[in-house]
Amino acid sequence: MAAPPSALDKEQIFGMAEKEMEYRVELFNKMTQTCFNKCVENRYKESELNMGENSCIDRCVSKYWHVTNLIGQLLGSGKPPM
Amino acid sequence: MKDPNPSVVFAAMADDSGQATSNEVEKPQIEPIRLPSVEEIRGQDIWNNCAVRSVVSGVMGGGLGIFMGLFLGALDNPIMQEEMTGRQQLIYQAKQMGRRSISSAKAFAVMGFIFSAAECVVEKARAKHDMTNTAVAGCTTGGVISAKGGPRAACAGCAGFAAFSVLIEKFLEGH
Repeated sequence: MAAPPSALDKEQIFGMAEKEMEYRVELFNKMTQTCFNKCVENRYKESELNMGENSCIDRCVSKYWHVTNLIGQLLGSGKPPM
Repeated sequence: MKDPNPSVVFAAMADDSGQATSNEVEKPQIEPIRLPSVEEIRGQDIWNNCAVRSVVSGVMGGGLGIFMGLFLGALDNPIMQEEMTGRQQLIYQAKQMGRRSISSAKAFAVMGFIFSAAECVVEKARAKHDMTNTAVAGCTTGGVISAKGGPRAACAGCAGFAAFSVLIEKFLEGH
């Protein structure tokens, strides 16, 4: 059962890892962009995050993550959309 | 979420891109993204805790109250009794200043504690940094302090302290 992976398998695994990496990068960029635009106002006078912005970003990231997971599960389960 | 931290990857990518551009053209070196260390994050978490913040504000208010009390107590003229010698008058004056400063310290400490706690809780709940947080916190503080005089006094204290705290905040922000 533990046959050495052929060249094709290695290619596949590499391609999947690449896709996974791209997906993660995209997720990170989109999440930071969305939450920054939502939580931080355009005009600010200091570089430190306020408490309000901090809690807003916490909530934003948590919701974004939950939504991503949920949608991933729905898409991955292979059932037709409701 | 135990997968590898992507922020490390992006810091590395930013580093590489900065070096690439500086090699090609005479552009200023792009600084790599400096993400906060674990100690900085922990420090920020501690400072963002409402209990810690309000206790620290209460202590600072107490310190301010001590100085105010000393100052105001020194201004109070003692009841002049001819029997007391100069030294006795000094002792009496010092005791009066001490009493005044302790009561003033307590009042200011309570004020600072309530204001800071209210502002922290409201800001965390609203997830916004606004003037309304200061106004609500000021109203709460004024209302609690003047609550002994009845509901009318509480309302007046609320409005007055809210206006005062908003003014102070505007002044501090414009600085």
